[in-house]
Amino acid sequence: MTHTGLETQSLTLAYRDRTVIRDLTLRIPDRCVTSILGPNGCGKSTLLKALARLIPPNGGQVRLAGEELSRIDTRALARRLAILPQSPKGPEGITVADLVRRGRTPWRGFLAPWSDEDARVCQLALEQVGLGDMAGRSIDELSGGQRQRAWIALVLAQDTPYLLLDEPTTWLDLSHQLEVLSLLQKRNRDHGTTVVTVLHDLNLAARFSDHLILLGPAGLVSEGTPDDVMTESNLQSAFGLKALVVPDPVTGRPMVVPH
Amino acid sequence: MRGRLLLPVMLVTAILLSLMVGQVFVTPADLWTGLWKGTGSGALTLRVLRGPAAFTAAGAGAVLGASGTVFQVLLRNPLAAPDVMGFMSGAGLAVVTAVAFGILLPLPLLAAAGGLLAAVVVALLSFRGAGVQSSLTLILVGIGVGFFAVAASSFLITRMPPQEAADAQRWLSGSLAARSWWHVLQVWGLGSLLFLVLALQVRTMALLELGDELAAGLGARVGRARYGLIGTGVLLAATGVAVAGPIPFVAMMAGPLGMRVAGVTQPGSRLAVAAVTGAIVTILADVVARSVVPGLQLPVGVMTGILGAPYLLWLLMKEAEAGEL
Repeated sequence: MTHTGLETQSLTLAYRDRTVIRDLTLRIPDRCVTSILGPNGCGKSTLLKALARLIPPNGGQVRLAGEELSRIDTRALARRLAILPQSPKGPEGITVADLVRRGRTPWRGFLAPWSDEDARVCQLALEQVGLGDMAGRSIDELSGGQRQRAWIALVLAQDTPYLLLDEPTTWLDLSHQLEVLSLLQKRNRDHGTTVVTVLHDLNLAARFSDHLILLGPAGLVSEGTPDDVMTESNLQSAFGLKALVVPDPVTGRPMVVPH
Repeated sequence: MRGRLLLPVMLVTAILLSLMVGQVFVTPADLWTGLWKGTGSGALTLRVLRGPAAFTAAGAGAVLGASGTVFQVLLRNPLAAPDVMGFMSGAGLAVVTAVAFGILLPLPLLAAAGGLLAAVVVALLSFRGAGVQSSLTLILVGIGVGFFAVAASSFLITRMPPQEAADAQRWLSGSLAARSWWHVLQVWGLGSLLFLVLALQVRTMALLELGDELAAGLGARVGRARYGLIGTGVLLAATGVAVAGPIPFVAMMAGPLGMRVAGVTQPGSRLAVAAVTGAIVTILADVVARSVVPGLQLPVGVMTGILGAPYLLWLLMKEAEAGEL
């Protein structure tokens, strides 16, 4: 039976002559929040980019609803799957509204005017990231957390069932990290959007994800629920880290306490 | 909004000035009579003496301004422009080569071939090795290619007969002397066509502005889109070169200047604003070039050079301060 969602099959990815992912077969569970974790250089971002077809596989394939990604029309794919790269940089002086409007591009017909539906989706995206009243502001004037949320609003406006984000919390302080992750989780709960993120912070990942993919220097270490993945032996093989895993006193999710 | 009205008003004023000012001052009243009755000094000025030059300047400035913005958006760098990156010098070299060897082909065709060839050379020299080079590498390689094209043109000119060499030298610095309505038709006709082609690519341009990965994620075919825009940008510049020579700095200055005046940020508006600003700058530079030394008509390129060089220096200092260089 073919999987209805996003999956890799014997996927091999190389980054500058170095193979970072070898023969990886996994499924991204639909309608869940999935986080890809692992040490620097293990190929987290490379994997995410391959899932969004930004880089071609060196072997194997990525499929969406059973169809090989490379066979899907670019525009059709952009209506099904959105990706926000790490630390995006926008043109100088662009306003939040203008930025978010560009997220509608895959939905707009050739030379078609701006529709009510476009306006509605953009407004919703802005409200979901809490920037409803900042549409007219230039992104240069925003704080780091606001700016990141503006970029997230751009991919929300793309209105896709799959949403991929590469380290959406980098450079943000803890409260803004929580803000970003909760809004992604809310989007997932409210719209059933499948969210896949690359994250650095293990505890935040465990707290906000339904599914974890843990990569190590030698490829996949473990995947599954946070409870399955966040074990002392898995952390040892992925990071070479000796740590204690205890229940988070607030959420009960696994929490990593390094020795 | 204020700025958006300002630019069209300035354009009309610049064209009027350009028709009035010169060796002999022609009043607006004379121009008016000349336009409707077809008699008097106004008619001669309009039809033969200054009209063609003014409208050629407007057209050339517009295509150059738009071309500069295409590259500035694509490479995300204010230094990127067909004049800085050698495409216009390449177009100039092609024309000089044809003249030197007696090849009789239409100028726009020659300029387009030269510009595209220069772009290909810049790409080949920069894309050696693995992966995509930074914008700055492309720009610096372009500057090098430009220097080479200018040197080669100068070499060819030294081998021409004296009169021809003087004409070629003048043209190479960017000149609006002895323009006819044929030039006006050429630059406006080809320019309109290219603007249409550009308008079809504006949405993709807005995506490329967000970076290659986001653009691809939003459904742009990044590689193809980039080639399309580079091609259109080079052809726009070549159209300007064909009628007015490689006028320096207009392409580079027009976009940022217009953006600041009109306060626009979207690529479509930026292109429109750059075109209008390019036209204004070129016309005004020509007016000054014609009147600054009495009895002597300097090439327009000398004036845009005098205006543009300080801007370039200021930009370089700003970039160096920001740590971009």
